[in-house]
Amino acid sequence: MQDLLRVEHLKKYFANQKAVDDISFSVASGQIFGLLGPNGAGKTTLIRMITGIFYPDSGSITFQGKPFDPIHDVRHIGYMPEERGLYKKMKIGEHALYLAQLKGLPRPEAMKQVKIWFERLEMQSWWNKKVEDLSKGMSQKLQFVSTVLHEPKLIILDEPFSGLDPVNSNLIKDEIHRLAQNGSTILFSTHRMEQVEEICEHIILVNKGEKILDGTVGAVKEQYKQNHFRLGIPAQPDDLLSQAPFELIRKGEREQIVQIHEDKNTNDVLQFLLDRSIPIRSFEELLPSLNEIFIRLVGDSPTARQFQIAS
Amino acid sequence: MNKTFIIIQREYLTRVRKKTFIISTLLFPLLYVGLIFGMGYLAESSQQVLNIALIDQSGYFSQAILDQENSTDPSSKVSLISEKAEDVLRDPEAAGFDGFIRMPALNWQKGNDSIWLESKKSYGSGTTAAVQAKLNRIWSRIKNDSLSIDESKQAILQGSQLSIRPRNLEDENTNANLAEVIGYIAGLLIYMILLIYGSQVMMGVMEEKTNRIAEVLVSSVRPFQMMMGKIVGIGLVALTQFLLWIGFVFLIYNITKATGNGLGSASAMVGAMQEVITGINMPLILFCFGFYFLGGFFFYASLYAAIGSAVNEDLREAQSLSFPVTMLVIISIALMTTAIANPTGPIAVWASLIPFSSPIVMMARIPYGVPGTVPWWQLGLSMILLVLGFLATVWFAAKIYRTGILMYGKKPSWGEMLKWVFRKS
Repeated sequence: MQDLLRVEHLKKYFANQKAVDDISFSVASGQIFGLLGPNGAGKTTLIRMITGIFYPDSGSITFQGKPFDPIHDVRHIGYMPEERGLYKKMKIGEHALYLAQLKGLPRPEAMKQVKIWFERLEMQSWWNKKVEDLSKGMSQKLQFVSTVLHEPKLIILDEPFSGLDPVNSNLIKDEIHRLAQNGSTILFSTHRMEQVEEICEHIILVNKGEKILDGTVGAVKEQYKQNHFRLGIPAQPDDLLSQAPFELIRKGEREQIVQIHEDKNTNDVLQFLLDRSIPIRSFEELLPSLNEIFIRLVGDSPTARQFQIAS
Repeated sequence: MNKTFIIIQREYLTRVRKKTFIISTLLFPLLYVGLIFGMGYLAESSQQVLNIALIDQSGYFSQAILDQENSTDPSSKVSLISEKAEDVLRDPEAAGFDGFIRMPALNWQKGNDSIWLESKKSYGSGTTAAVQAKLNRIWSRIKNDSLSIDESKQAILQGSQLSIRPRNLEDENTNANLAEVIGYIAGLLIYMILLIYGSQVMMGVMEEKTNRIAEVLVSSVRPFQMMMGKIVGIGLVALTQFLLWIGFVFLIYNITKATGNGLGSASAMVGAMQEVITGINMPLILFCFGFYFLGGFFFYASLYAAIGSAVNEDLREAQSLSFPVTMLVIISIALMTTAIANPTGPIAVWASLIPFSSPIVMMARIPYGVPGTVPWWQLGLSMILLVLGFLATVWFAAKIYRTGILMYGKKPSWGEMLKWVFRKS
């Protein structure tokens, strides 16, 4: 797959901080890509450079194989910022049309797209309502539609689920998957790790303006796994466990969480249990959550604590 | 379609469709006319008759002559008091008077310049002047009698005058009084546009910033396009309002002209309008009005846009930051008054060349006549400087806007905003 977006050695310094400090990554065409990091890590600054709002201090952005040209390429980018906004007094239909036209769609084409999307998300009856009369979930839907209706090749969503109820959240999630299947590339920025694990194929993790992790979700988990397993056996006496090829991490009545010793493997564990006729109900590998990995990477710093609370 | 044009279209249409626009466009002329007539009516009806006691030690004044004068000018009633003068002196209000005049012994050849109208309440110089004029008419008759000037001689004395009026060599049509009125109106209208529509631009930018729609827009269009779209859109709203008002005036003019002299006041208005149209160079004034209106609007609106982009939702922040800009507009009005009094004086000339005041001051000077009062070179230079001036403020504002529109948090000072302007991008 060809890379839709390639970012190389991007830097943006503000007067008192290094907002983005030498970050490189690439996003393949049709991928759902996660940009993770705590609040203040530099995600928004990074996105603002990719959307042409800020010029980088140094580094390069390549879009569709050519150097990024903000004036022409914004036509192919849809950006939903974290801080969302709409004109309160405008009618919904007109609002969607207006934003589509600003993206460069001619009016008839914009009209067609708005109608298609309003129908898909069951918003036709809202056309003449004013934005100020919408509920929060409804205006989020409108915002999402405005972001994608010019059929952008790259869709950038900054915290798309914040403030959405589960129903609308799932609706948007389905749309994200559908868009990706139809060939759009999605860059998804968030500090909520659990959402990323469900949706994203590839992630990068930034902290304090630097990239600290890059890879597919599976590979990252594989890389940071600690040989933890969930073992469906009754609680065992301590003297028995001292001979086992694993360490008991958490004790339970019906299941135990264990860490296998480094020189041993899963079969050694099963062998050990079978030899002693201990009934096994289940045996399952436990991969670390991205959240745990992040905390391990940045240590118990104030950022990490903030992160833990946030997620 | 150009994106700036799409923004202009939205800014224009949302404002023109608003009820407040339609109402204010219709109501403003009504209010204006109402205010003028209402003030005249109030001034007439609220006038009280001033009751003045005259304690005469000169012997020149008699009740009969005073009564005659009181009936020609009923705004005050002067009565001769001879008995109970003590009571009046002690407390004029208890004795039924608003005040009193102690007339000392007088010499008809010299008069007296230290006579007081004494009262408990304070009266303005206008009130005293009316009483003074009344007593002076009697005094003139006394002088005339003493000099044996009969009525025919008096008529000569009063009627035969040398009257000097200004007339410009280059444009004979100029009527100084008319020019003054038109100058005032044009200057004040531009002043109003700058303040009202300038602050609309500021509020519009603040709305986009606090609604957080700015970031959505800025990923589709350049900040410069956003700013210019807003300024031009709102400028067109102001222009529309003006064209509608001018349209009303001409409509009323033509209707009253067609229906003939049905109403006294209406036909008087038609007469006045005809005088205005023939008395001044209307096409030139309208052209200049359009030019200075747009130039001044761009000059100030871009500054207001910059301020709107720099502040947060707090209106007080916006007010304190926009104070220096608003001051410039108000200073211009002060300069305009000077320029109308002396349209060729150095203050008038300089203030009509410098861009910040030229829209208001030059518009006040132009009705006096081009090229008589305002030479062509001054008009040309003023226009060029205004164009350069607004290009500079637009450039300056665009730099602030670009940074400010995405900046949240503490309100920046003018110093910080200047730093944004001169920082490399």
